Amino acid sequence: MWQYSFLAIPVFSLLLAGCQATPPDSANGKIRIVSTTGMIGDAVAKIAGDRAEVSALMGPGVDPHLYKASQGDLRKLSEADLIFYNGLHLEGKMVEILEKVGKTKPVFAVAEGLDHSKILQLAGQAEVHDPHIWFDVRMWADVATYIGASLEKHDAPHAAAYRQRAAAYRDSLLALDEWVRSELSTVPKDHRVLITAHDAFAYFGRAYEVEVRGLQGISTVSEYGLKDVSDLVSFISQRKIKAVFVESSVPTKSLEAVVEGCQKRGHKVTIGGTLYSDAMGQAGTPEGEYIGMVRANVRTIVHALKGESHAEVSR
Amino acid sequence: MDAFWIILTGALVALCCGLLGSFLLLRQMAMVGDAISHAVLPGIVIAFLLSGSRDSIPMLAGAAVLGVFATVLIEWLHRVGRMQSDASIGLSYTTLFAIGIILISLFTRQVDLDQDCVLYGEIAYVPLDLWILAGGQSLGPRAVWILGGAFVLILTFVLVGYKGLQLTTFDPAYAATLGISTFFWHYALMGTVSMATVVSFESVGAILVVAFLIVPPATAYLLTDRLPVMLGLSALFGLLSSILGYVMAAATNGSVAGAMSVAAGIWFVLALAFVQVKKSILRSQSVSR
Repeated sequence: MWQYSFLAIPVFSLLLAGCQATPPDSANGKIRIVSTTGMIGDAVAKIAGDRAEVSALMGPGVDPHLYKASQGDLRKLSEADLIFYNGLHLEGKMVEILEKVGKTKPVFAVAEGLDHSKILQLAGQAEVHDPHIWFDVRMWADVATYIGASLEKHDAPHAAAYRQRAAAYRDSLLALDEWVRSELSTVPKDHRVLITAHDAFAYFGRAYEVEVRGLQGISTVSEYGLKDVSDLVSFISQRKIKAVFVESSVPTKSLEAVVEGCQKRGHKVTIGGTLYSDAMGQAGTPEGEYIGMVRANVRTIVHALKGESHAEVSR
Repeated sequence: MDAFWIILTGALVALCCGLLGSFLLLRQMAMVGDAISHAVLPGIVIAFLLSGSRDSIPMLAGAAVLGVFATVLIEWLHRVGRMQSDASIGLSYTTLFAIGIILISLFTRQVDLDQDCVLYGEIAYVPLDLWILAGGQSLGPRAVWILGGAFVLILTFVLVGYKGLQLTTFDPAYAATLGISTFFWHYALMGTVSMATVVSFESVGAILVVAFLIVPPATAYLLTDRLPVMLGLSALFGLLSSILGYVMAAATNGSVAGAMSVAAGIWFVLALAFVQVKKSILRSQSVSR
């Protein structure tokens, strides 16, 4: 077996390297909170203030349906004092892991904080719900209240501060909700149609009286058929809709076929811009926070549906 | 401890896949793992339509049924349809995967349903998914128990069936004259492979299983022409890939399954380089003589 001796050196160095335990981060008295999506992380950070260090597993532009864990994500989860996730199967199979972790430390699904009757059920499936709850800003305000209550329970000595910050964040969300309503009311009702690649905007449509059409189903992996494309093309041409929208976390290709199809029928439809759907923008930009993300989306939608030129869509 | 559990999980997948993958490679059926990863889609959709839930148990059951069905179909096309094994694999899984997509667009367009979100596990989270008794004691990660059980079954299968597997792999005609049924051993192997892959998918995701079914056996194949040595080396390279992969993932904060698969490729390249160097040395020695 001498010829395999070349294996020995790397093997032993690996064994040594593999056994080095990484020391845990020194706790600086702050609560360590991990969230799955950036939207939840943003809300938690606003409400926890300087009491906590908050990190989100899914970064900017990451589609939760396609999220893959990295080695460090395990450490984040196992060192976290508190975990918040969306629920309603947004995180897919990872929910089972989070529920397991919930037996040893506080883990909250923010969808639990909502009035159950407000949650959209899907196509006659009793157990299946639309997870994209953050697009109804009023519902997200309820989530903020729920996060505040969860933090109060976990860290009772600072309860008053959490309650205050949760109320303040809720107020700014309710103001945002009003702003979204008034912006969208400037678009004539029959032009208020939001066409996107995948069905992420059902809550948005219900809350703000926007007709919502998606090319694909909820899953970003499901395929769209020829009939889906041709149905959508006739719908757009008949209703004289001016714009369709792509999403930051979904490839743009699928909607290009629709735009082309409409052009062949003599109806000009443009790609109205990029919407943030399942993930927020880069950290440090206004769109890297929930409120900025919603504002950016609404501005993009309103400008494009009114048919204003792209140059006017300034942020 | 987390590192230990992840490496152990990777190693168990490597051992299961290395043993079975060696036989698959020698039978020119190495891509069967990848084929199963696609072919399970209609099973998942049907299991969802029947049970109305996306929990692990119904998904695993649906996937397992379709996994076995896919391997039966592959074998049947290969034998009865007289197709080459690569063609029968390609034909079976693309058809089944396509049926899955059609089922989704017909019945479950509004449901987030695919292998990634309902079946594939994540090896990085194995240490969090503990098997906890009613009394509250933890017995360690669930995946380690499941994969450990699978490994024991596979090892027993290979040890008990060694003669049959070996003869039907290398010399089916001779095996037939001895009264050994090639038919039986084909289906026994394929059935074991489909159960092992589906169970591993659920614990660690697809890419790692597909990689460990092919790459460590291929590495071992470069270094030996004896079956027992090949089986041992496949297991060894799988084990080494698991360790190297974990170290790489820790260093880069990357995907653990991805890094382990790359590590398997690194060992393959090293072995290939070693064999080439050895060959050229032997050649120059024989020339100078």
